[in-house]
Amino acid sequence: MSLFKEITRGFYSLKTALWLLILLLLLFIAGAVFMPLNTEYTFMSSMPLFQWLRGQPIRIAWWIWGSIGILSLLAINTILCSVESLARKGRARGWLLLIAPQIIHIGFLLVLFAHLLDAAQGFKYLSVVRPGTILQIDDDSLLRIRDIDINIDASGYIRDWRVSVEYISDSRTTGDDVLRPNRPLVRDGLNVSVKDLRAFPHKAVLLQISREPGALWALGGGVLIMAGIIILILFKIRIEK
Amino acid sequence: MLSFGAYLFGLWSRYLIYVGLLFQALYMTSRGIELGRLPLVGAHDTVTFLSLSIVTFSIPFRVLLKGSSGFHAGTVILCLLLTAFSLFSRPYNMPLPPVLRTFWFEVHVVMAFLSYALFALSAILGYVYLKEGDALLDGMQYRAVLVGYCLFTLSIIFGGIWAYLAWGTYWLWTPKELWTSILWLFYGFYLHARLRQWWTGRPMAILSITGFAIVMFTYLGVSLLMKSSHSF
Repeated sequence: MSLFKEITRGFYSLKTALWLLILLLLLFIAGAVFMPLNTEYTFMSSMPLFQWLRGQPIRIAWWIWGSIGILSLLAINTILCSVESLARKGRARGWLLLIAPQIIHIGFLLVLFAHLLDAAQGFKYLSVVRPGTILQIDDDSLLRIRDIDINIDASGYIRDWRVSVEYISDSRTTGDDVLRPNRPLVRDGLNVSVKDLRAFPHKAVLLQISREPGALWALGGGVLIMAGIIILILFKIRIEK
Repeated sequence: MLSFGAYLFGLWSRYLIYVGLLFQALYMTSRGIELGRLPLVGAHDTVTFLSLSIVTFSIPFRVLLKGSSGFHAGTVILCLLLTAFSLFSRPYNMPLPPVLRTFWFEVHVVMAFLSYALFALSAILGYVYLKEGDALLDGMQYRAVLVGYCLFTLSIIFGGIWAYLAWGTYWLWTPKELWTSILWLFYGFYLHARLRQWWTGRPMAILSITGFAIVMFTYLGVSLLMKSSHSF
């Protein structure tokens, strides 16, 4: 019982957070050194993380599993420390300064949740397409590549491009759209974007159809982190002076 | 070249650092006009911009430190090294790939280098703290890191938005992104560690210096040594 209490108390501690951050940094650094040395990581970004992890032996993925474990402990520690801090200093003056770190913590947890969601429920499909190629994008819709237009200057640099597409449902064209640089097709949570283009010997495009259910959560988390840091800058720097 | 000379002689006459800043600002402006875009692609331009940002952000610290010779020397030596590196790097004068011609890319890069400049100043302040031990320097380091952390977080957010629009994903598992996470977590560690008595003073100064070493590796080391989604 006392051991359980000791462990629980440890999770309320900033010291634990610091140790977990040190461990996480060490695992990330090990991974960053390890990553360029192994070809298995080449396809890591072309599928959701958990799908990629399922196909990897532990000798390749050990630092990612370790990081997921540490991040889980860090998430618990963040929640407990935030709750404890609010309970302890709840009636103190300067509530904005009190809640600013908690806003950052909520943002951090949202970003973790976003990555978890994408790792577990994300979807990525890559395909090389040419004019006339038809791809299935959901249960009852097809996407047909109508035309690929690549603007190449005299020096051989791609200056601009556009990929015209049309949607087909029940053998009828139901709409059309154009993919441009930094302008993907976003439809019912699906993102259709161009990863690469080739003008010779045939016009072809490497198209990615992806679903990242965590994208908006990550953006929301990022905005909360920013809001918390800005409050800290406005109030904490004045106190530091 | 002119700014390198100004920084070099700035070691003896401190006002020449502002002449170096002026030369670099004029050079970046002229490159921007010549290229018709923000000149922030490739090592040559980004290192120049980093040096310019370091000197610009150092101005309020100089005023507060009332002419600390250690801080001045640290800033000048770092800018000299960066300017020398930019002189040996070939400028990127080719047309930008269409995917880089967007507001999101520009603001992502600008925020990243402004944050690197503040992390650099925090490291210089840390170095001076180790030499002089003035408590004022400890507070200044913290302010530089906090504002730098804000700009760095903004850079990551804008980078994520841009990546989602350009490649359909806000996060790629490449060495650059991994080192970016390491940097963000490291400064997160710095900001939390400061809340504990044991870490205040010398350990904070050492963390500031270590942080800037990670910045330089994330920026130059990863780009030069590893295949990544970023050229610089």
